[in-house]
Amino acid sequence: MKLSTKSRYALEGLLYMAVYGTDRPMSVKETAAGISVSAAYMEQIFFKLKKAGLLSPVRGAKGGFIFGQPENEITVGSIIRAIDGNLVPVGCVDNLSACTSKARSSCVSRGVWIRIGSAISDTADHLTLTMLKNRFIAENGDVKNENIN
Amino acid sequence: MKISTKGRYGLRAMIDLAIHCDEGYVPLASISERQDLSLNYLESIFAYLKRAGLVTGIAGAQGGYVLSRPADKISLLNILSVLEGDMSVYDSVGDETKIRSFLNRNVWEAIDQNVNKVLTGTTLKDVMEEIKTQCLSNDCSGL
Repeated sequence: MKLSTKSRYALEGLLYMAVYGTDRPMSVKETAAGISVSAAYMEQIFFKLKKAGLLSPVRGAKGGFIFGQPENEITVGSIIRAIDGNLVPVGCVDNLSACTSKARSSCVSRGVWIRIGSAISDTADHLTLTMLKNRFIAENGDVKNENIN
Repeated sequence: MKISTKGRYGLRAMIDLAIHCDEGYVPLASISERQDLSLNYLESIFAYLKRAGLVTGIAGAQGGYVLSRPADKISLLNILSVLEGDMSVYDSVGDETKIRSFLNRNVWEAIDQNVNKVLTGTTLKDVMEEIKTQCLSNDCSGL
């Protein structure tokens, strides 16, 4: 039951921006370098995050991206949903018609998938970028001027 | 993040078996019919469940399967670790950068722990009782 690698890199990228770029737009290239992935890959991720409204582009020579929502409203759950579309272990949890079984209306297992889905989203929807940023800085000291790797 | 077909079908079959096995050995054909699952697929899934000691089977005309221990002694983790293997939402990718190891500990591991609480804390019996309550409330909804 694995999350996509892309959604994990998306969270890494956004946390990197929160910690190292609060006062200015950050380019795809800089974020990609910060978390050691290729700029082309980061570009795909940023495209989806922009589409979901989590990032806003800033034009110009010092352009790049800023958060499209307040940092304390961007949750791990919203980031995973922006990348993967949803946050459920089985499609029926958020959309019953995803199931084509004849036994659908009397399904015995959907309750279990809902329980597991809630366990995931309870944690993911509770964790905001601000909480993670503060924890990261508390663990690592003031990291602004050092290399993250 | 998705549970495989094996995990989805296998859990459904295990719950069905739990509901019906107090009547004796349950033939896979009857699970196949009730759950709209192919008999071939059920046979391969039950081979795994049997090997893991969760079900006991006997051959023959009156044959079929029963749970090998009471339903309140079989957790979701017991079942899904046979069908799905590792239930973690993450595995290690790339180098362990500072930010990655931070997120592993503070986010992905936290999600795993919360899921694990549900998996270890929910037994087949809990699931059966939940279904029973649902059926009762469904019946009442007609009033």
